[in-house]
Parts: sequence; C-alpha cells; structure tokens
Amino acid sequence: MIPSPTTPSEPTRSNAPAEPAPPTAGSVRTGAARTGTYARDGWSRFRRWLATTPARVWLLTLVSAAAITGLFASAAYTLDQARTGLDVLGRGAGPQAMATTDLYLSLADMDARIADVLLMGTDHGLGSGREDALEQYEGSREQANESLLQAASLTEGDTVEERNVQEVLDGLGTYERLVTQALLRNDEARAAPGEVDAEALESYREATRLMHTELLPKAFNLGLDSSAIVRANHEDGQAAVTLGLLWVGGVGVVVLLSLLGLQVYLRLRFRRRFNLPLLAASVLTVALTAGVIQALVGSGGHQRDAKEEGLDAAMSLARGGAIATDMQADQSRYLLDPEQADNYQQVYLERSQQVLFRPVSNLADYYAAVDEVAASYPELPGADGSDPDDPGTLGYLGQRAHDALLPGQQDRLADVLGAYNEIQTQDRLMREAVRNDDLGEAVGIRMAVADSQNGTFATYEEALDGLTEVHREEFARGIRQGDSALSPWVWLLPAGSLALLLLVALGVRPRLAEYR
Amino acid sequence: MRFRHRRVAAAAALAAAAVLGLPACSAVLGGEESLVDADSLVVGVKYDQPGLGLETAAGSGEFEGFDVDVARYIADHMGIPPENVEFVGLNSAEREEMLISGEVDMVVATYSITPARRTQVTFGGPYYVAKQDVLVSADATDIQGARDLEGLSVCQSAGSNSVARITEGLGIAVEGTEQETYSDCIEELRSGSVDAVSTDNLILAGFFAQTPDAFRFVNNPFTDEKYGVGLPYGDTEACEAVNKAISRMYQEGDAAEMLDHWFGETDLEMVHSVPQFEGCD
Repeated sequence: MIPSPTTPSEPTRSNAPAEPAPPTAGSVRTGAARTGTYARDGWSRFRRWLATTPARVWLLTLVSAAAITGLFASAAYTLDQARTGLDVLGRGAGPQAMATTDLYLSLADMDARIADVLLMGTDHGLGSGREDALEQYEGSREQANESLLQAASLTEGDTVEERNVQEVLDGLGTYERLVTQALLRNDEARAAPGEVDAEALESYREATRLMHTELLPKAFNLGLDSSAIVRANHEDGQAAVTLGLLWVGGVGVVVLLSLLGLQVYLRLRFRRRFNLPLLAASVLTVALTAGVIQALVGSGGHQRDAKEEGLDAAMSLARGGAIATDMQADQSRYLLDPEQADNYQQVYLERSQQVLFRPVSNLADYYAAVDEVAASYPELPGADGSDPDDPGTLGYLGQRAHDALLPGQQDRLADVLGAYNEIQTQDRLMREAVRNDDLGEAVGIRMAVADSQNGTFATYEEALDGLTEVHREEFARGIRQGDSALSPWVWLLPAGSLALLLLVALGVRPRLAEYR
Repeated sequence: MRFRHRRVAAAAALAAAAVLGLPACSAVLGGEESLVDADSLVVGVKYDQPGLGLETAAGSGEFEGFDVDVARYIADHMGIPPENVEFVGLNSAEREEMLISGEVDMVVATYSITPARRTQVTFGGPYYVAKQDVLVSADATDIQGARDLEGLSVCQSAGSNSVARITEGLGIAVEGTEQETYSDCIEELRSGSVDAVSTDNLILAGFFAQTPDAFRFVNNPFTDEKYGVGLPYGDTEACEAVNKAISRMYQEGDAAEMLDHWFGETDLEMVHSVPQFEGCD
C-alpha cells in the first residue's frame, strides 16, 4: 500500500496547557460543593474569555445585530399600522361613512317625491311627471335600505347607534304605509293639482311628521356618528404611527451607536483606519431610518389630506345637499297644506339658512342676501368682520367657500352658488303667485323646480355633484399617494435590514478570522 | 375642572416629537385637553327660568329644572360622579363669555344653536328643539293660529326678538309690548292687560306649569329653537360624547320622563324622539 503523503498533524490543541486534572475522589466533599466549584469555575472562565478581543468583537456584533433586528421590527410594525390606517380610511370606514351620510338624502328625497305627487293630483304631466316622481321615490327607497345596511355594519357593537338603525328601519315601514294610504286617498278623490284631499293630507301630515321628528334626525345622527368613528380611527391611527415613528428614530440611533462602537473598538484594537463595510452599514442605517420616517410622515400627510380635504368636505357637502333636498320639498308642503303654510315657509327659511347662512330674519331679505353672495363670490359678504352683527357667510356652502383651496373648486362652487340663487329666485316667484291667489301658476313653478330632468333643483344638484367630485377625487388621490409612499418599503425594509446584517458580518469576519 | 391623566404616554411622545422636530406629526397625537378626560365639571344653567333652570332659593346654589336634569344625565354618562358636578347660575348675556373664559365647562341654559354662535362655541345636541309659540288666556278660543293675532297685543321680555319674528318674519301686524322678564309678561296675560305672550314654547310651558288651567298654547309653532349644550370651542371629542349621551337619554326614555315631569301638566305638544344634531365640527 502506498502510504498517504500526509500524515494527520497533531492537533494544535496539544500545545495548549493541559486540562485541569479531574478532581480526585478525595478532594470531593459534597456533590453541591462540586457543582458550585464547577459553576464558579465556568463563570471565571467566561469572564476571562470576555476579556479577550474576539469575545468583545462578538459581543459588539451581537448588539449591532440585535439593534438592526429591532429597527426592522419597529419599522415593519409602524409601516403596517400606517397601511392599516390608510386602508380603513380609504376602503373601510371612510366609504361606509359616506354611504351612511347618503341615508339622510334618500329619506328626504322620498318625502319630497311624495309631496310632489300629492301636489300634482290629477295632472300627471306636471314637471317630469308622476311616473318619474314615483320611480325616483322607489330608487331612493332602495338607496335608503342599502345605506341602512352600510350603517348597520359600520355601527356594529355600538348599542346606541345599532338601535338608531333599527328604529329607522322600523319607522320606514310605518312611513311607507302612511304615504301609500295618502296617495291612494288622493287618487280616489281625484284631487285637482294643488288641492289635496283632506284625508290624504291627514295621512301625509302624519307621515311627514314621522319622517321629520323620528327618521330624518336619527338618519342624520347616524351620519354624524359615522364621521365620528372615522375621526376617532384616524386620530388613533395617526397617534400610533407618530409613536412608532419615534421608536424607529430612536432604534435607528441605537443601531448607529452600536456600529460606531464596533468601528471604534476595531480601530483601537487592530489599528486600522476604517472598516469600510461598517462605514457603509452606518450610512445605510441613516438612509433606512430617514427613508422610513419620511415615508411615514409623507403617507400621514396624504392621509390627512384625504380625510380633511377629501372625505370630510365631501360628507359636509352631502349633508348640505340632503338638507337642500328637504328644503326644496318644503315648497310643495307649503302649497299642499295651506293651514300650515306659515310653518312650512318658516321651516323653508331655516333649512335655507343651514345651507347658506346670512344674518337676516325673513325670506325677502334672504333672497337679496343670497343674490349678493352669488354675485360677489369669490368675495364673501361679511367676511371682513367690520360689522359686529354680521358673522359672515356661513352654513354648509358658506363654510366651503371659506376653505376653497383645491384646483377647480372655486369655479365649481361659483356654479353651485349660482344654481342655489336660482332656486331662491324661483321660490320668490312661487310665493308671489300664491299671494296673488294664482295657485295654478305657483304649482307650475314648483313642479318646474322639482323636474328631475332639467328642473332648477336638478341643476343645483348637478352643480353640487361637480363640486363634491372635486373632493372625492382629492380623497382618492390622498389614499393613492399615501399607499404609494409606503409600498416600496414592503421590500426595501427587509432588503435594507438584510444588507445591514451582511455588512456587519463582512466588517467583523476578517478580524475574527485573525484569531482562528 | 380637573383632568384624569390617562394620556401621559401621548404627552411624553408629544414632547419627544417636538424635540425631534416632527411638528407635522405632533398635532395628531391628540394631546389636546378634552372634557371627556375631566373628573369634575362646572355647568352653567339659568337661575330664573322655571321648569328649565331655577335656583330653588336665592343664593342657595341649588338648581332644578329640565336643563339641570339634562346636564346631570350627560355628566353621569361622561363618567363624572354627581358630587363632582357643580352648577353655576347665569343669564343669557353671560353664556358665551363664561364659557370662553373657562369659568364654566359646559352651558345648558336654553342656549339656542345659531350659525353665529357656532363660530365661538362648539355645541353638542340639540337636546331639545323648542319652537316659538303663542300663549293666550284659556278662554281666548277665537285665537287658533298666529294669523289670528292680527291687531292684538303680544308681550315679550326686554331684548328679545320674539315679536319681530311675528311682525317681520310672518308679516302679521301685532302690537308689541315689553316687560322686564317673561314672568312679568305672564302676569300681564293673567290680568288681561295683554292678549298673548310669545317666545319658546318650552320657556312658556315652564312658566305656566303651575297654573295649567289659566292658559292655553295656540300650538301653531313657528321657528326652531335648538337648545344645545355649549362646550369649549373645538372640543370635538366632548361634543361627540354629549351627543351619544343625548341619544341614549331619548332611547332609554329618560328624556320623555324629564319632559313629562317638568312640562307634563301643560298642553304643550312634546317630541319624545331624539332631535337632529348639528354636528361637532
């Protein structure tokens, strides 16, 4: 056999000092003492090992690795919270809140259509016609049911609001029964336009009273409550992200310090000027931390824009639009119920004031004031605060006019104000006709306002939709930009953290190798 | 008011955020004080309005009425023990001023929500929507609506614009007269020196609940007076908590009980369903 050219060398260990001889049986007194000696022995050996350079390098490396893991964990957690916040606002509670806000509109529209149909009486061709009004009623009823489902899902677990949803559902059944009765009576009596049958009127009074004292308030409050839920979610989310952001910053600083410690130790021990991989790791740490913070702050800003300029504004306009729907229906109620005409006129003024407020106390002054606002916009009457009795132009539209900042918003708002002024002009003409005892003329004006194809109110709604669309777009844009600020970090963060660990390993491995 | 300090962590984070120069984020930490964190409450109520807010004996510091009950209910719902709720009497002119200066934390004092006031005060509620109505002598059966007041005399308290709402708002020519307070107007009506008294129906009901047979509401209400809960401007969280309390107050039937207790003897048509809130922003 050919002898192997190399013979296994003696292990270097053989040069090392001999292992301490096992203690002789005689030296053992008790078992406990023996383990104690071993432990003490182990501890002192560990301490001796700790004093060695490789041990210290290992230790500093572990600290750095732990800090890097901490940075990864805190950043991943916070980024996830930011993503969840955007998701809830953009695809969860936000759109649901918007749907809940639509509930009021649907209910108000139902009552408006019924008033119109009663007012039309036997003349089924007034405005856009009886068939159309009944179709619109049906559409709104379906929309109301849909919104109630959304509201039920959003308010789940909130006993007060769940009960509100239930009460609206129950009340809606009663309401429908009453209006069916009213329509039936009026048809049977073959009531002429503007002359509603007494029994039909009695049923309608009961129905509209139920609508206005029970259903609409609860629906409106549900909408407000869903806004409150969105606000609370948003604020809690933003607070959590801010707290997480501080953690990321803090842990980033810790990583930097640990890398610096390693760098300094290696420099002192090995007399090398720079450890390039560790230097690169430090730069990467700064970049990673700053990048995550910037993404979080950026997406937070977009989320806030989406909520305030987008969702809040759109919901506020939707409320204003819903109240305007109820307001214009007060024209029909004013005409069909002469006994309560004074009240309906007053209520009309009050709802108008909610939509656009000017400090006046009767309709004649109000028409003039609205005309002034529409003419002077974008200047707003009373805005300079020179008159202590004039708080300015307020209400849903007034508020929007103050905060018009988005591109295109001003033009759209001007359209809305113009259309609103036209409603008020027609209102003046309608009431003049009533004062001149020309009921036919008054009903004609009213039905032209209510015409769902090209009536004065439809024009207003269209203009309002245009304005709301600006805010809906802003909402979508904010969510989209918030998402895109966060999305690269899905891979950037793990990749960066791994790169950091790798660089640290690259930095310390050659030094540790010197001790093998 | 005293605050419970549940938000130490948030406040610390806020401070840290300020140090780190993250002003954009510090605003969202919710570090603002809100009444929902208070563990005591000073509530401003009327002291001279029977049935709503009335000091039981001058200087006693004890108040009673619908407004007082509503305030107690809300405080309880916000987790403030009854012994930590202090009532302070105030008149109409003092309401804004005492709320803004912080002398009171909350105002429940027939305080109508108006767009102008909303620029200075955040309103929870309304907890009730009163309506301006007309009170006449029980035997004046010929007055069935506001229009029947044409040419008659209508009393209002000094500084009120109730009569203007009839003359200017509705265009009905009535002869307006003024007395120091509404209770003086009621006396005038009792003695027959005026034909009618007009103001919020809840206020009128409070005055004549003691002698319900002597008077009668025309029950032809016009204008809405939305009685709100005045809160420090911008305290959205407290406003939402107040709204929740009011919703519950109606759902559980407490509101109906309170209304019946204070005004049930009159022929006032009351609404026992939750009013439409104004919103907290």
